[in-house]
Amino acid sequence: MININQIIKEMDLEGDPSNHRVVVAMSGGVDSSVTAALLVEAGYEVVGLTMQLYDYGKALQKKGACCAGSDINDARLVSSKLGIPHYVLNYESIFQDQVMNDFADSYLRGETPIPCVRCNQTVKFTDMYDRAKNLGASAMATGHYIRRKTKKGYLSLYTGVDPSKDQSYFLFATTMKQLDFVRFPLGSLTKDETRSVAKRHDLNVANKPDSQDICFVPEGKYAEVVRKLRPGSVEPGNIIDVNGNVLGKHNGIIDFTIGQRKGIGIGGRKGVDDNNSILYVIALDTKKNNVIVGPKEFLSCKKIKISDCNWLIDLVNEKEFEVLVKLRNSSQPVIGTIKVNFDNSLVYLTFDEPQFGVSTGQAAVFYNIKDSSHILGGGWITEAPNKSADIKFYNA
Amino acid sequence: MKKQIYLDYNATVPLLKEVKESLIDCMNVGPLNASSIHYYGRKGKDIIDIARTNISKLINTNKNNIIFTGSATEAINLLFSNFETIVVSSVEHFAVLSSSKSDHIIPVNQDGVVDLSYLELYLKKLVKNNKKILVSVMWVNNETGIIQPIEHVVEIAKKFGCLVHCDAAQALGKIKINLEEIELDFLTLSGHKIGAPTGIGALIYNDNIDLTPQILGGGQEKGMRAGTENILGIRGFGEAAKFIINSTEKNCSKVKSLRDYFQEKIKTSSPETIFFGEKANKVANTILMALPKIPGDLALMKLDLESFSVSSGSACSSGKVSKSHVVSAMGYDNLASNSVRFSFPPNDAILNLENLITRKELDRLAQCWSNLQAK
Repeated sequence: MININQIIKEMDLEGDPSNHRVVVAMSGGVDSSVTAALLVEAGYEVVGLTMQLYDYGKALQKKGACCAGSDINDARLVSSKLGIPHYVLNYESIFQDQVMNDFADSYLRGETPIPCVRCNQTVKFTDMYDRAKNLGASAMATGHYIRRKTKKGYLSLYTGVDPSKDQSYFLFATTMKQLDFVRFPLGSLTKDETRSVAKRHDLNVANKPDSQDICFVPEGKYAEVVRKLRPGSVEPGNIIDVNGNVLGKHNGIIDFTIGQRKGIGIGGRKGVDDNNSILYVIALDTKKNNVIVGPKEFLSCKKIKISDCNWLIDLVNEKEFEVLVKLRNSSQPVIGTIKVNFDNSLVYLTFDEPQFGVSTGQAAVFYNIKDSSHILGGGWITEAPNKSADIKFYNA
Repeated sequence: MKKQIYLDYNATVPLLKEVKESLIDCMNVGPLNASSIHYYGRKGKDIIDIARTNISKLINTNKNNIIFTGSATEAINLLFSNFETIVVSSVEHFAVLSSSKSDHIIPVNQDGVVDLSYLELYLKKLVKNNKKILVSVMWVNNETGIIQPIEHVVEIAKKFGCLVHCDAAQALGKIKINLEEIELDFLTLSGHKIGAPTGIGALIYNDNIDLTPQILGGGQEKGMRAGTENILGIRGFGEAAKFIINSTEKNCSKVKSLRDYFQEKIKTSSPETIFFGEKANKVANTILMALPKIPGDLALMKLDLESFSVSSGSACSSGKVSKSHVVSAMGYDNLASNSVRFSFPPNDAILNLENLITRKELDRLAQCWSNLQAK
């Protein structure tokens, strides 16, 4: 059962809720819709904002599709049901500059980017944040499954209560300044509870499926989007093995990601024993435009470099310590030791056990070794050398 | 709910009481398909005929030259589908800019007035290679309220043998339209801009020119716009026209004094405000203005939260606000995302009906405008 008083307490705003205007970032999905519904129930003056990020019709190459797609309309319907004002923010050009272009360039560098983090960092928690402040709001709430806690005047972030929905991996870059203003009322809810609130309010999105893909990438076909954003910069090349033998051709390294096993496009090979017959993408050579494949052992990675770190703890006395680290949103955290540089922006992390399939462009998010729900911070993986680094022809 | 102060009459005018009553009347008549040959069909035809007469009187034209459409936009699309070469001004409504698909664009000066000498030179060059050219210039701009020198546009266009269309959606009800006094070939109108329901527009055409319809079917509207007539819309449009014809308040002096009062208040309380097209010949009800540091959509949201309904730039049906092409065309590209439009009732007759806008409320609005800049 959802306790509204608990939500009010976690909102951490002084005095009566009716004295506070709260802006809710509404995507048109069930989570942000329920966030708005709960805050209305709690008595806040809620204002819904939805970001228009790209031309939906163009992205899907669908004639007759509105630039806004159906999600904005869902957010509008929910707002109307809840009786709150709702506005659309036109962030198309900012999103193009800061998220989509970065996404394309990252793939062209042979990385695997996470545009959702960039979007939270640049658009949602910068531009929308400013807009919420300009509208005189006391706080901005989102529908993320993550918990914001205040202890003795210190702010900290914890994973969402529902482990299957936790979104901490996407929010590691939230700064302390942003955290001061942003709230996550769903952090203590399970997804089932969220859906039950949506049903109770008879919201049109109550049964809407969760979004799976990157919003501007239809059906997960990210490579098509990159080709459209950067026409002419994706070129075919060779797929080669660790000895430099050409095994096949590819249509562009952007179609591959480190650790990929399926769909590489090279058939069975004669005279290779079973154990070594499974090949993985172990490196993307952007200079020579080659995809390098090899057995799993080549993916083994012991130490990574993490840049542009954001910290949600005070690092004054600690420069080297053990953490739990998540290397992909879907993977389990592993143990490693981090060494922080002088200005805390750069970290070298050594894994207790070698990791396989670590990709640059992804985030490394740190959790407290004693309390895995406590998020310490994170950064971007800029170097993740695996055994392919030992291949002579590759580095020549 | 707080009392809403509506200052967006250029977007739409509330349904007039007289119109509302006429619609209920109309609904009480019975089943009205004007194409039917029986009693009710005849009733339907009569209703349409009366509406046509009223509208023709309002703009002084032959009632047989009116084709009812679903909107002014539809009327424009119907017309434009007959022309390959269309010359438009840079500040036209999207109904004209998008449907003309034109790259023959005549600029405006900083006051928002179409550049007549440019038009003349442009047509001079263009007529050499083209036979059938349509020039399309709006009578009154929807964002700025600027009145275009349409008589001069017609004069120049005729000199080069061009046909002329005028989008008069924002002119109707605000200034006198007399088609006997101006040699326009086509005029398009929108019912809801004068207090009729939405969903009704009209194309007024010169019947010496053959047009091909876009919507085919049962041959309604002399075959120019098939589909069972929107009797309620047509009746409402005719009734709104009648209201303007019959009203004793023939001018806009009260609207103007209210608008000027508000503008003076703004000038005092927020001297950094920029007014667009202030020096140009304008209708009495519109102000387009901007604060250099405040995005228009922010101003709109904050004013809405203070229960003032105004508008900003050009909004897509999704609610997304884009920058104003009108403000850009006037040479203020840096302010094109900042403009906010305040539009009062189109004329004194409608202002008197509404009796909603008081000077006290305008004082509060000016205060809210000034507060937009507060940190």
